[in-house]
Amino acid sequence: MKRTHIAIIVFIALAIGAIMVTINDASTYVGFNRASENPGTKYTVIGYLDKDAPMDYNARANRFNFTAIDKEGNKQKVFYNQPKPQDFERSEEITMKGFATDSAFVASEILMKCPSKYNEQNEVAGYDTY
Amino acid sequence: MEYIGEHLLPGQLGRFFVSLSFGAALISAIAYFLYIKSQNQSYKKVARGLFLAHAAAVMGIVGTLFYLLLSHYFEYDYVWKHSSLSLESQYVFSAFWEGQEGSFILWLFWHAILGVILQFTAKKWEAPAMIVFSAVQAFLSSMVLGVFPFGLRIGSSPFILMRNTADNIGLPWTKIPDYLERFPSFMDGTGLNPLLQNYWMTIHPPTLFLGFASTLVPFAFALAALFNRDYKSWVKPALPWAFFSVGILGLGILMGGAWAYEALSFGGFWAWDPVENSSLVPWIVMVGAAHLMLIYRNKKTALTAAFLLSILSFILILYSTFLTRSGVLGDSSVHAFVDLGLSGQLLVYLGFFTLIAFGLLIFRYKDIPKSKKEDDLTSREFWMFIGSLVLLIAAFQIIFSTSIPVINKLFGPEGALPLLTDAMAPPLDAIKHYNSFQVPFALVITLLLGIGQFLAYGKTNAKRFWKNSSISIAVALVFTALLAQLYNFWSQGLYLSFLFVAVYAIISNLYYWLFLGKGKLGFSGSSVAHIGFALIMLGSLISNAKKDVISQSEVFLSEDLPANENALLEQKDSITLGQYFAVFEEMEEIGNEQNYVVSYFNKPGDNKYAFQLRPFLLMSDQMGPTPNPDTEHFWHKDIYTHVTYSSYLEPKTGDGFGKEALVELGEGDTALYREHFIVMDSLKVNAGINDETGEMESLTLTAVARVINVLGQEFKIRPTYELQGEVLGHTDETLYEAGLRFRFEEVNMETNDIVMKAWSKLDEDQKPFIVMKAIVFPLINLLWIGSILMVIGSFIAVFQRYKNNRA
Repeated sequence: MKRTHIAIIVFIALAIGAIMVTINDASTYVGFNRASENPGTKYTVIGYLDKDAPMDYNARANRFNFTAIDKEGNKQKVFYNQPKPQDFERSEEITMKGFATDSAFVASEILMKCPSKYNEQNEVAGYDTY
Repeated sequence: MEYIGEHLLPGQLGRFFVSLSFGAALISAIAYFLYIKSQNQSYKKVARGLFLAHAAAVMGIVGTLFYLLLSHYFEYDYVWKHSSLSLESQYVFSAFWEGQEGSFILWLFWHAILGVILQFTAKKWEAPAMIVFSAVQAFLSSMVLGVFPFGLRIGSSPFILMRNTADNIGLPWTKIPDYLERFPSFMDGTGLNPLLQNYWMTIHPPTLFLGFASTLVPFAFALAALFNRDYKSWVKPALPWAFFSVGILGLGILMGGAWAYEALSFGGFWAWDPVENSSLVPWIVMVGAAHLMLIYRNKKTALTAAFLLSILSFILILYSTFLTRSGVLGDSSVHAFVDLGLSGQLLVYLGFFTLIAFGLLIFRYKDIPKSKKEDDLTSREFWMFIGSLVLLIAAFQIIFSTSIPVINKLFGPEGALPLLTDAMAPPLDAIKHYNSFQVPFALVITLLLGIGQFLAYGKTNAKRFWKNSSISIAVALVFTALLAQLYNFWSQGLYLSFLFVAVYAIISNLYYWLFLGKGKLGFSGSSVAHIGFALIMLGSLISNAKKDVISQSEVFLSEDLPANENALLEQKDSITLGQYFAVFEEMEEIGNEQNYVVSYFNKPGDNKYAFQLRPFLLMSDQMGPTPNPDTEHFWHKDIYTHVTYSSYLEPKTGDGFGKEALVELGEGDTALYREHFIVMDSLKVNAGINDETGEMESLTLTAVARVINVLGQEFKIRPTYELQGEVLGHTDETLYEAGLRFRFEEVNMETNDIVMKAWSKLDEDQKPFIVMKAIVFPLINLLWIGSILMVIGSFIAVFQRYKNNRA
């Protein structure tokens, strides 16, 4: 057996290790219910903004609360201690990374998907009031 | 029906060029194949002519699309979506490649140019290599065909008229002959994404796509070699191309980082975003491939690995294209392209070349010459081989983690083979996840390229090795100690060793070049590139590990939440930001930019500020307010700032009501606003009908509602919504004592709920304020200097290899 073969085997072992660690590091997409079952455990929740509920950003305390509805239709108050993301009202979908507490879901990171111009074109396309 | 005001000829011309480029590439591949089979020179002539025709057609596509964009022909969907009348002409390039179709064309363009060069320089490799080129071009051209045979969708054309797109076809306005003149929305395009209106976006995409295109050359040579069963001589002509690819793709990636650092607000030059990763991974593999080819050139070993990595780099480009353009990354990346419905076609493209390339490699594996003798443990080739393996595994780790959404599609609960019970999401802290692997890998690579220069091919003389490297180690130790002291690295073992390794790699390559290579140009390529790489590592390490968020507040909300990294600055008030005292002076509105002028003083009470920064928010209808950072550059550090929020974004009425909120209420619903309950009791409708015509003339809707405060006191409110003919009016209700105002905004047509707008009285003497993030990046300039050196070094290597080949 050549040394290079041994090196290759070592590296294959490393690759398998990397896969295991990655699977371990990966989080899971869940709904608010699952997150509430394990308060404190970090999850990724995808949902959208509940436009009926109030949304409040206190710039002085730098606290932002809003209510989100997950894909299963459950509403949850969300707490985010970062400035309110730009154009938050227009978001179509919000990806929230964080954990549940007994009063609210505490998000440490928020990604939003906004209606892109591609959708705005559909609005023009729907311009059939004529 | 005749439409008025449309320009149909350029579109037809464009579509003709696309069809020609597709057809010519396809037949050229076939003709080259027939030439190889028959050795009939006339086939070769035909094949060459067809590829030239293909290249000309690609130039025609490029020209036509530019013509459409510059002429503002908004009847074309692509022009309408990606440009506008107000677009400054230097951004017409950005508009060209903003959409997927345009970037496919950019890619086609570079392949066509490289293909023509190869046609006249590849000599005996021409025919098999050009089959690969033509086949790739046929696939790429098909991506912009935009035809629908047998109900299939093949490609998406940039030359399609807006009234003919799948979304619009059949809509009422498409049947109006003068729609272009009648509707204002067609008179101007929607414009270019404001984030892309930046000079980096003019030069970054073409460089990156030239980088993507350049990986095709070593791939084509490798396949040609396997096809011809001529396993050895391809390395010589492919080697300069491999280094060209390393240089240009590296440059493209680094430009992307520079753009992100200068124009985006994620605070840094690299965020391990899937889109960034998917161009980095093929580059890492190409670096490995180039070094394996070097080993083969010098010691005739590692040939199989050179084949494997040369093929893999291009396949990874295809895989990345699939990842970023199929929409599969949707939830995990901020800037993946929108899905155009080409995923199936992209998969066929990826699958075709993966099968052909790896099929051929496996089929021919036994015939590829392998070196019988064992590499010496002290030889340069052995450690270069190990280095290439480390690169390969680093690339594998990145692409595996980036592929989590794909794994989820395949094995997730809704996947083809549901093995997982929960949908798999990318790691919560992506940067930490990637760094935990990539820092150790980068450390090993940097160490190898420090030691490597003192190792000889074959066998290294131990005495000479230690004599040369001991000087470098000693000098490196001194500099490392200095940096560790300055930037406080002593307690971080891994980072401290990385620091030493990076400094050592710089010193040893410098030593090698100046003393062993006597500063000759012939030795400089690898030294300069390696010094550049080590400087990039050193700059990334210090600027990231020791970055200081000086706007960070000391207040923790809870233990497991990171401290807030944003500071609030009231107008004219000073606040401590790290070593500076910052004052938010004023907001200046220039065009559609809100510039926030912030002065930084060294000492409180200074009359003159040390420097001033103007981070701004770009206000656009399309994207809303987009933050744009501003950075003060010093030789040894950068102060990077961007505005995350400002009081100017809060809508305010003339008499000082603000904090606008929208609430939808049905009858009997309750909502909470500013510590008050709003109870919607009933809706009164009063319609005035014209007796003669029976048509409705006026409509008054009154919301009968109550506002209840924390003490249980109730206030009746009656906001109304009035429609007199075409004129809409509102009568607002204001509760002055509570400082609340309500408006009956509209009725939601779907739910029949009423939409109520609420404001509250703002504090009279509330000053304007901004919320801002400020980060100090120490020694980040090392990173940029290193980037430039690495690219220069790679091109010196291209030149040297090219010269050696000719000699």
